Amino acid sequence: MSGEANAAVAQRDELACLEAMRRGEPDCLGELFEVWADRLYGLALRLLGDPAAAEDVVQEAFLKLMAGASRIEGRSRLATWLYRVVYNAAMDRLRESRREVPVPEENEEAALPAPAVLIDFRLTPEEMVHDAELREALERAIAALPTTLRASFLLRDVEGLSTAEAAEAVGVTEANLKVRLHRARLLLRERLAAFVAARGDGGRTP
Amino acid sequence: MSCEDVVRQLSDYIDGALPPADRAELEHHLATCHDCHVVLDTTQCTILLYRAARSRALEGERRRLLLEKLQRACRGCGGAQPNPPRRDAG
Repeated sequence: MSGEANAAVAQRDELACLEAMRRGEPDCLGELFEVWADRLYGLALRLLGDPAAAEDVVQEAFLKLMAGASRIEGRSRLATWLYRVVYNAAMDRLRESRREVPVPEENEEAALPAPAVLIDFRLTPEEMVHDAELREALERAIAALPTTLRASFLLRDVEGLSTAEAAEAVGVTEANLKVRLHRARLLLRERLAAFVAARGDGGRTP
Repeated sequence: MSCEDVVRQLSDYIDGALPPADRAELEHHLATCHDCHVVLDTTQCTILLYRAARSRALEGERRRLLLEKLQRACRGCGGAQPNPPRRDAG
């Protein structure tokens, strides 16, 4: 079955689940929880850096889903809706704790970070499994990004939303989302290249 | 096309969002510019690594407690007429 067909089936199941929740049946919640809890938690954790706060955000998203299940259909995919709720809840928490530093308005004209470390690393996901140092470097690099760039990268490249969906989830235009995504990719590449250069193995396992 | 132009269009290239003429011009530059080729390859590598890096999942007991809490909250959820609570199996 193609990925597209899978997605179509999943979406139909999700709509059936939302319909059941509207009838007040909690059984279906378990299925939605299985599909979404870890994804939403992963996003919230990387936005907030705090497991307890991330869990609170996931809870909030599901409570909102239950309260607003009847309003989702036809407006946007469930995925976009859930990610938007998690993103907004995480940003609210960051603003409350005053940890979020406003970033300058992204625009096409602003200078892009020029790639500086040009080491040709070729790391594979398989190598990463056995390389705790690399995994830590990846997490440090993404944690160091401004939250708006981080969210754009996570939604688009990690969670696999389209540009339009990711833009809707974070509440910006597609053009703006693309600028953020591009900056995030270049910054992460630079930090990963610096890590590989500092380690001195050229990215290849010895 | 300069290296700066390539870097500026890199994400559109990776996402297949460049018009064919721009794409051809960029690929022509890549064929002769080692540095830009490295930047492209390592950017794609970076994306793949993050895509594969599993972020931590909700752990066992906390996961179970959260689901239970939500299931209790869901009885009569969605603003529908409150239904009699269903018996949980087991």
